[in-house]
Amino acid sequence: MSVIANEVRRATYFDSIVLMRISRQIATMAGVAEAGLMLGTPANKDILRDAGILGPDGEAAEPGDLILALRAIDAAAGAAAMAEAKRLLDAPRDEAAAATLSVVRTIRSAVRDLPDANLALISVPGHFAVAEARKALALGLHVMIFSDNVALADEVAIKREARERSLLVMGPDCGTAIIGGAPLCFANEVPRGDIGIIGASGTGIQEVSCLIARAGGGISHAIGTGGRDLKAEVGAITTLMAIDALDADPATRHIVLISKPPEAAVARVVLDRVARSAKPFTICFLGASDLTLPANARAAATLKAAADTSMGRVAGHGPAPRLRADRGTLVRGLFAGGTFCSEAQIVFAQAGLPVASNVPVPGASALAGAQEAYVQAHTMIDLGDDEFTRGRPHPMIEPAVRERPLAAALADPTVGAILLDVVLGHGAHPDPAGHLAGLLGGRNGSPLVIASVTGTDADPQPRGAQVEKLAAAGVMVADSNAEAAELAIAVVGRSAR
Amino acid sequence: MTIHVPAAIDGATIIPIRRAGVVAAEFCKSVAHAEVAAVFERSFYLSCGDLFVCVGEPAIGNGPLTLIADMRVARRGLRPGEPARIAENRITIGAMTLACEGCEPWHPPRWPQAATPRVLASARDAIVRRAVTDAPAEGFGRALAHASVPHDAFARVARRRLARLRSWLVESVAAPSAPAIAAVDPVGDLVGLGPGLTPSGDDVIIGALALLDALAQDHTAACTLRANLARAVDHLPAGLTSPLSHCFLRVAAAGHVGERLHAAVSSCITGDLDAAIAVIGDIGHSSGWDMIAGIATALAAFASQPCAADSVMVTSV
Repeated sequence: MSVIANEVRRATYFDSIVLMRISRQIATMAGVAEAGLMLGTPANKDILRDAGILGPDGEAAEPGDLILALRAIDAAAGAAAMAEAKRLLDAPRDEAAAATLSVVRTIRSAVRDLPDANLALISVPGHFAVAEARKALALGLHVMIFSDNVALADEVAIKREARERSLLVMGPDCGTAIIGGAPLCFANEVPRGDIGIIGASGTGIQEVSCLIARAGGGISHAIGTGGRDLKAEVGAITTLMAIDALDADPATRHIVLISKPPEAAVARVVLDRVARSAKPFTICFLGASDLTLPANARAAATLKAAADTSMGRVAGHGPAPRLRADRGTLVRGLFAGGTFCSEAQIVFAQAGLPVASNVPVPGASALAGAQEAYVQAHTMIDLGDDEFTRGRPHPMIEPAVRERPLAAALADPTVGAILLDVVLGHGAHPDPAGHLAGLLGGRNGSPLVIASVTGTDADPQPRGAQVEKLAAAGVMVADSNAEAAELAIAVVGRSAR
Repeated sequence: MTIHVPAAIDGATIIPIRRAGVVAAEFCKSVAHAEVAAVFERSFYLSCGDLFVCVGEPAIGNGPLTLIADMRVARRGLRPGEPARIAENRITIGAMTLACEGCEPWHPPRWPQAATPRVLASARDAIVRRAVTDAPAEGFGRALAHASVPHDAFARVARRRLARLRSWLVESVAAPSAPAIAAVDPVGDLVGLGPGLTPSGDDVIIGALALLDALAQDHTAACTLRANLARAVDHLPAGLTSPLSHCFLRVAAAGHVGERLHAAVSSCITGDLDAAIAVIGDIGHSSGWDMIAGIATALAAFASQPCAADSVMVTSV
């Protein structure tokens, strides 16, 4: 005896093609005599009623509801068809759900939704970040604080509280982490591997993890600490706990530490902890000199060198090109990433060249009023600094911040080469190279423009395509930021002041 | 690294809106709260009351209800029911902010001048011929052609309802008053009928409205036909179709259609039927051909008007 079965999905919209595919699949199942999958409008209910397949559930459907109605030759065939229909209707949502997070309003609700979660990412205005972090710690969660504008005293307090609970606080102002293969905030798609990274710098972590990935390696975890963790007041609480964590992690073979030079007492504590590990370390304290490292650690002067060293490769670069700038002798660096700005200054300083910056590293000159007045020297500008970003998004998100300084550099006859960084990955602009290409297209080739592209081909903006866009706009693309800086020195010659 | 962004969107992804259709732009200015109503692979819908707007990737094309953004919708993890807050031309959904300030307004170009009635009649006949081979089995496309035995309950009613729409359009020109026009059933019988996200009958009416709108600039008869059909749509009671589709119908009745339908109708009235079908034939599973069925039906109604009849080959639809 034939049976009628109806399934109603309330206020549900599916793509027409999906609806048709499911409808056809059900209609051709064994034992199904007739089937329809339609919105529950009066006109459609008339059709289903006339066909004799509308049951009480279907009769009650609203115009925005979806009705699956079928007639099968017997109850078993009807049940099988309906089960298959439900599976097909749920499939797109299940697939979507697998790639998404639930929407919740409190950390407690989130933990209820995901009882196995052990990390909370806090991204709220700085005034509220500490309170939210405390809630997360109380629920037994490690914390990543993306927010900035958190007072130093609050940072110290929250990190001490976390340490007492054996929980990690990444941040405040932690822009990048990769935990268990999951990129968080501004991070790139890199393969899992055996190299762990601990970094006070988001772009530093991005550059090293991408260089490792492009060299065939992978990342176990990349732990951000926030930019102030190695200050004396904080005492490297997160850095030390991160070393403990990666030291104990069997998947981590080698650990890379990235930071600006810490204060001497903090450096001593950190390096003492490094010395107690059986694992090899690469220490990249950008701009540091006279580091005394333990036997299991090697120093890396640049991010590129850090990546090479961690991979067991000899840090270095290819032969210098024969290109020479045909005008100007100065290099103007316009950076979205503050760490790239610092690294470029270090490369110039190591080459014995004077360099100035709005965010100078030790040994570089300070620029005042960097947007307008450039001294007659190699200048490296951090466009993420407050002066450029007050009330505007960061240049990694909104590359238009670079337009005006780039136009000025292109027009300046003293500039022989322009250095740029392009940062890809989650959170970054969808097409930064396209934006730059639009600004640079049609020029006559002077000054030379040299860029590095931090990213991988697995990123939302595949690196290969971004490099091609830059190359088509006449930009020389170096493999790393450090190499871009070295290339700039090579093309303007070392005679610059 | 220091990320300096305004506190209210601290940590959010900001996605600029490239282009906004006329209704969608108004939505951004006048609505404060909305919610995600539907999520598809390349687009999602926001709703507030009975108004819907579509936010989508550039590939979906422009439309009066559409905001085009450089985004990959599938990566955003949106889910129906998520709240959206709209303020100062920005739409915030969770950690994502869609920035509408400075976006380019989109509206379709003017309709081209229509070809002669004879060319229009030829176009209509060509549509019918193409429907035999090209239209999907579902929807109204095949019903145009009388080419096959109705294979299901929908097909059995589809032909009759298209014919009733055509008859009603013709007769509405002579109807004594607006209420009389609004009271008739043929439009209401089509609305909400058939498969799809926008039921096929709704797409038929949208196609017919677009065609008559295009001809209305040159032909008084088309102007009257269009006004009558739009009035009938305006008078439709709620609940005949899904809220989302009803929104599309109202907007079409107000004279706003999407880029692809506009291009298809423009090609059709200038005699390039192949181009018309190429532009919209693949919209949805059957939506494109449902619109084409509406275009053909409206062409037939127009052809029966005295101003066009003398020079038109009559083909029943």
